[in-house]
Amino acid sequence: MCAAQISSNLEQDWINKAFRFWTFADYSIQVIALGAILIGINCGLMGGYVVSRRLSMFGDTLSHAVLPGIAVGFMISQSRDEVALMIGATFSGFVGVGIISLLKRYTKMKEDSAMGLVLSGFYALGICLITYLQKSSGGGMAGLESYLFGSLVGLSADDLIPLCLCLAMIILCFVLLNKELLLSGFDPSFARSVGLPVDLLHFCLWILLAFCIVSSLQIIGVVLVSALLIIPAATAGLLTHKMSRLLLFSGILGALTGIIGCFLSFLVERLPAGPVIVLCSAFLFLTVLFFNPVRGILPSWIRTRKRGQRIRCENTLKACYQVLEESSFSSQSFSQTSLARRRRKSDAEIEREIDVLIREGYATRQIILLEQKSELPSENMISLTPSGWEIATRMIRNHRLWELYLTKEASYAPDHVHDDAEKIEHIIGEKTVRELERILDNPRRDPHGKLIPSQNDIDRGWLSPPLVTEK
Amino acid sequence: MFNLVESLIDAWSTHEQVIWNLQIVFMGIMVSLSCGLVGCFVVVRRMALLGDAVSHGILPGIVIAYLLTGSLSVGPVWIGACIAGLGCGACIEWLRTKTPLREDAAMGLTFTSFFALGIVLLSLEVGQVHLDPACILYGEIGLTPLAPELVLWGVPCGNQALWNMGLVCLATMISTVVFYRFLLVTSFDTSLARSLGMPVASIQYGLMLLLALVVVASFESVGVILVLAMMILPPVSSSFLFRRLPNILLSCLPLSILYSLGGLHLAYWMNFPISASMAITGVVIFLPCCLFGPNGGIFTNTKSLSIQEGSKGIPIN
Amino acid sequence: MKATLPKPLEIHDLTVAYQKKPVLYGIDMEVEAGSLVGIIGPNGAGKSTLIKAVMGIIKPVDGYVKIFGETTRKAITRVGYVPQRASVDWDFPVSAMDVVLMGRFSHAGWFRRISKRDRIFAAECLEQMNMLPYANRQIGNLSGGQQQRVFLARALAQQSDLYLMDEPFEGVDAITEKAIVDLLKSLRNQGKTLLVVHHDLSTAKEYFDQLALLNLRLVAFGETQDVFTHDLLQRTYGGKLTVLSEIGSRQVEHKQPPSAVL
Repeated sequence: MCAAQISSNLEQDWINKAFRFWTFADYSIQVIALGAILIGINCGLMGGYVVSRRLSMFGDTLSHAVLPGIAVGFMISQSRDEVALMIGATFSGFVGVGIISLLKRYTKMKEDSAMGLVLSGFYALGICLITYLQKSSGGGMAGLESYLFGSLVGLSADDLIPLCLCLAMIILCFVLLNKELLLSGFDPSFARSVGLPVDLLHFCLWILLAFCIVSSLQIIGVVLVSALLIIPAATAGLLTHKMSRLLLFSGILGALTGIIGCFLSFLVERLPAGPVIVLCSAFLFLTVLFFNPVRGILPSWIRTRKRGQRIRCENTLKACYQVLEESSFSSQSFSQTSLARRRRKSDAEIEREIDVLIREGYATRQIILLEQKSELPSENMISLTPSGWEIATRMIRNHRLWELYLTKEASYAPDHVHDDAEKIEHIIGEKTVRELERILDNPRRDPHGKLIPSQNDIDRGWLSPPLVTEK
Repeated sequence: MFNLVESLIDAWSTHEQVIWNLQIVFMGIMVSLSCGLVGCFVVVRRMALLGDAVSHGILPGIVIAYLLTGSLSVGPVWIGACIAGLGCGACIEWLRTKTPLREDAAMGLTFTSFFALGIVLLSLEVGQVHLDPACILYGEIGLTPLAPELVLWGVPCGNQALWNMGLVCLATMISTVVFYRFLLVTSFDTSLARSLGMPVASIQYGLMLLLALVVVASFESVGVILVLAMMILPPVSSSFLFRRLPNILLSCLPLSILYSLGGLHLAYWMNFPISASMAITGVVIFLPCCLFGPNGGIFTNTKSLSIQEGSKGIPIN
Repeated sequence: MKATLPKPLEIHDLTVAYQKKPVLYGIDMEVEAGSLVGIIGPNGAGKSTLIKAVMGIIKPVDGYVKIFGETTRKAITRVGYVPQRASVDWDFPVSAMDVVLMGRFSHAGWFRRISKRDRIFAAECLEQMNMLPYANRQIGNLSGGQQQRVFLARALAQQSDLYLMDEPFEGVDAITEKAIVDLLKSLRNQGKTLLVVHHDLSTAKEYFDQLALLNLRLVAFGETQDVFTHDLLQRTYGGKLTVLSEIGSRQVEHKQPPSAVL
């Protein structure tokens, strides 16, 4: 296996190695580290647009499609002249992408088949040409492996020039055309209608992308270039939605994984740099995915479970209120079976729900023995505690206010009530409720004629249930 | 080098060469046919890139199987590859549905990470492994006749590689016939599939499993990336010739014969790798189909009858 | 205790949320056999979501769905689903006949050959939708209305007991529209149950026996003449519908609102 490996066979001590690396003692380490960082930044920045425009697999396709161009560039220039190879590669990449567009537009082929076709077709052509040239030119042409897996070993300062150039071009382009790129990506038809040259911008991005890929190809290899185009940007996308910040994070993450991956591969003999960089970025992605406090999977899961429990609890409380209301609040307690009837659940399920309420301190249960002539030996009677009562009443009030509001919504100017995304009683905020009450003029009855509890009623608590007596 | 006719005749001149070439051709046919049949469903489900992803994703499975068992024999390697392939597909599905990642990013992220993992694991065992990069990348179908002899209970049965591929090819053909309905309905309309009580997710994973199996069986012959060519070219070429899926599936056989023969001769003529030549033959066959094919070819006008709104995904409302 | 046949569809307290935003809330519905129900409501009201939740495509946060007394999963073979037209791949290499035959797969048994009887029945279904002459056409080569009729022929071929249809009238011509209405009524007369998401208020009143007014929550569900009132429609559409007043004025103002769900 020939993928890149960077370390000296002399020093076995890891601490020494680490020291050597991070002090950038050797020239070769300086070059390699810089190379890794540059590739990371370039791919990270370009990746911001690639991922947000859903071109991830295009990066992969493009990196395979450049292969024939490299061979042709070699053939024409008869040497390993970098410029010729790059021009050839970029051109070949373009032809590939152009063919995909043509196939999509003029035939019924779908985008994925067209991409797969171009990817493998160009790749096959590239292999043929490169192996042919390798055999006939007697070693002048670099072997296929170096394009496919890349090689950080033997990197010289000259090889860094295209990377620096690429970085400069990317930064220039992004800074100057920031707003235009944003708009044309987000809403191309609108952008066109305001006179933006959307196609030209698109074309610019493609050129940058092709150049980025081509300059990184020999160093990190075909398959792994596309990894770096996707993973840091995807990670950044988990952290922010704002494009400028996404690009910044993406570039930083790219550079970070580049240097760390480079270091790890330096530390352990035989580990090739390219794949290690990719694995580092994947690891970083997973960490952010799971533990990001705002949108991470673990925190979200915990929050959703809690919310689900809260909603079910509140639903039960609401049903309790309704059961009590049915009997016009004549008694403070009600039977578990009547609640089961109301909620249309089995006795066992209601039992569990009441257990939750009791645990939270919202209700109490009493077992009352019934007279002999009734069907059951005993009955569970439930009463709400003051805090339970408060929540139940609040839920009912919010819901009935909201019902009333929705009926009359059109009459009110839209900016009077903030557009709460969660226009539902469980999550309706107190401020919104006050606003609603004010707008609706402190209503007492909902559209069905049922009483809407006011804040006073809630504060007074169950001790004096005024709701029946008030008119 | 351009003495085309001479090199072609040379290739078949001696008896040994004929046997040699026939084995290669036969292997090529079986590889193309298996890939083509699986590819028909992959293309029609718009999973072509998933095919690409799974092909790369099997690498760590192969390497881990090798590291655990110390051999590259068929059993463990194939099992490892299938597990890795399915794992790759499952990860993609999970990322796509349970995280903010879109489908393309999920695919790209997963398969490149798997592939990188495979390479890293491989490098840790440098020295003992004889998996050479060229093999992974474009295979070496030309070495088929050199494969060891399969010996069952002391009876030599012929080329082991041919037997392995033959079994996979047979399995693919049988699966296609037996599960045709499932594959058809789940590809066309998943809601109907559910209505009919079909296990939609299982079928998807079953297809991915078959795909992983075909890839691992073929990669020694044609390499990981050209498998994709063999999967996409047949269905895409025949879709311009035939209107219905059964005919497209049947056409995979004549196409695979053409690819194999064409590839062999192109390779002999121009000294290209055989697998890449097969892919190029495929592209050469694709072009006239795409341009002049009776069913939607660019220069044929078969859609004059219909009102266009429904097709090509142009939104109606 | 009289044993009663389970209802074709029972929905209780169904709540579907997408991340934090609720899409359906506390839906309670019981549909009797032989009903032709239209689901109407403004855009984004959750109509398609309701159908998908019944089909089991979307999982609810709370509440349940019972089809003929069973869970969706067990009863799914008795349900015929006609999806929105935009969700189909029209380039798929199948002919109209192929599509209709797909509807017979569960009856034919998964591994047995399609019998001649199945083919004849499929042809009859196509005939009923006036699509028999197009049986061998690839579906992409049909007009919008024709495509819709093929899918309805397939629904017929399934011989389901409960049909869920998502905007079947969307984008079809007048002839097809009439054909669909006739089909719906004929299925209803056979005792089938139909739940149809519909977007057009002006035709909802004449096409459906019962209406479900949906806007995040079920505003009302009942016989068309009871439910299609100015008051209830306003509650559903939040008073945003300008055409509402003219429709309302054509209605008899109902004295007592039916028992809406709270």
